[in-house]
Amino acid sequence: MSILVIHPGAYYHIESFEGPRYAHYFDKLVRPEELPDVRLEDFNVVLIPCRTPADRMEPHKARLRAYLDQGGTIIATGESDSQLFLPGITFTPQPTNFWWWLTPGADLGVRIAKPEHSLFRHLAEKDVTWHLHGWFDVPEGAEVLATGDTGEPILYIDEVTTGGRMIITSLDPFYHHGSHFMPATTRFLDGFLPWMRAELDKEHTA
Amino acid sequence: MPNAPATSGALLLIHSHYGEPPGLFTLALERGDAVIVRERDLTPAHFAAARGLTTTSHLDQLGLMHFADDLEAFMARGGRWFFNGHILRPFLKGLGIYEPIAKAKRADLVLTRLNEHPIFAGIDQPSFEENRGVAGFYGRGHNPLPEGALAINGIGPQNLPIDWEWTLPSGGKMFSHAGNDVGGMGGPNPNHALLAPRILAWTMGEF
Repeated sequence: MSILVIHPGAYYHIESFEGPRYAHYFDKLVRPEELPDVRLEDFNVVLIPCRTPADRMEPHKARLRAYLDQGGTIIATGESDSQLFLPGITFTPQPTNFWWWLTPGADLGVRIAKPEHSLFRHLAEKDVTWHLHGWFDVPEGAEVLATGDTGEPILYIDEVTTGGRMIITSLDPFYHHGSHFMPATTRFLDGFLPWMRAELDKEHTA
Repeated sequence: MPNAPATSGALLLIHSHYGEPPGLFTLALERGDAVIVRERDLTPAHFAAARGLTTTSHLDQLGLMHFADDLEAFMARGGRWFFNGHILRPFLKGLGIYEPIAKAKRADLVLTRLNEHPIFAGIDQPSFEENRGVAGFYGRGHNPLPEGALAINGIGPQNLPIDWEWTLPSGGKMFSHAGNDVGGMGGPNPNHALLAPRILAWTMGEF
């Protein structure tokens, strides 16, 4: 077993993690409250989805840090206030413009910052474009993969803050996919999850 | 007093997401009989002391299943539950799993009042169809109608029951809205603000 998913239990989490489309990407689902009973080191990846209530993760902050420092990988998607339970994250929220696409020819402003990265063999710009929820001031040495309308990072990989790797984004694909509302988020997961399995879970695929 | 009828008690509002509670909850606090409980602090005593229950679309459905017996007892005392969201766990015997509308087109999102209900009295249901010209925010599917439940609002040409009220065989009442939370305050559609106090009053058995 190598990909562990935190399962906060809202309908959109249930649909995303238990639904047939993606269930095979997740080897074990664990409630935030059950984290003390799980050996995180047994997993190549720990995924913390969108809209995970931060106060359910804060008690596990030290364990997440220890997991990272022994070389683990954590993925955290948006609207979870990840800065409250993961190290080195500086986040600035921004008001969500739900309506940008109503203007003909409008551009939300999302750009792929590093097209040569392996993730973008699976994703195009339109697959990371739905809403902007905020941006990050990333630590020096972090790898910025996508930026928002101000050119600030919205998706990055941090291998400098800890002994492991954090893949952090303000995008919230599980929420929208699990709500059956917003096809771009399903396209995002259609690309991101195979990439996660292939690139971040090497032992599993070996 | 697990068998006492729920003719008195608190309006229990389960606050599921992190951050400020929704406008409906803060409005409820003005009534003087409401209690907002952070979801992770829920105990059986909260259900035992409640007359009404309101949950949002962010409800931890796995967590609520741990309180299934307490919920059943609450309903059997005549409790009322206003539920927002997609049912993906069988909290109560008789409930089915949410069914989304596949690849919904505009015509699939038409809303129709099927039966009058005091929460929606005098409110034009099609006014909830669009938000700034975009359809789908109200909901895009339905929680299956339990046996004996009354469909209040339908969605799409088949009038799938997006809103229903169910009097349980054990006595309590559940109202299900299978979409984004209704009764939000301060949104672009003022009809939501009209619904809000009615939702709270219905939940407390006042009509």
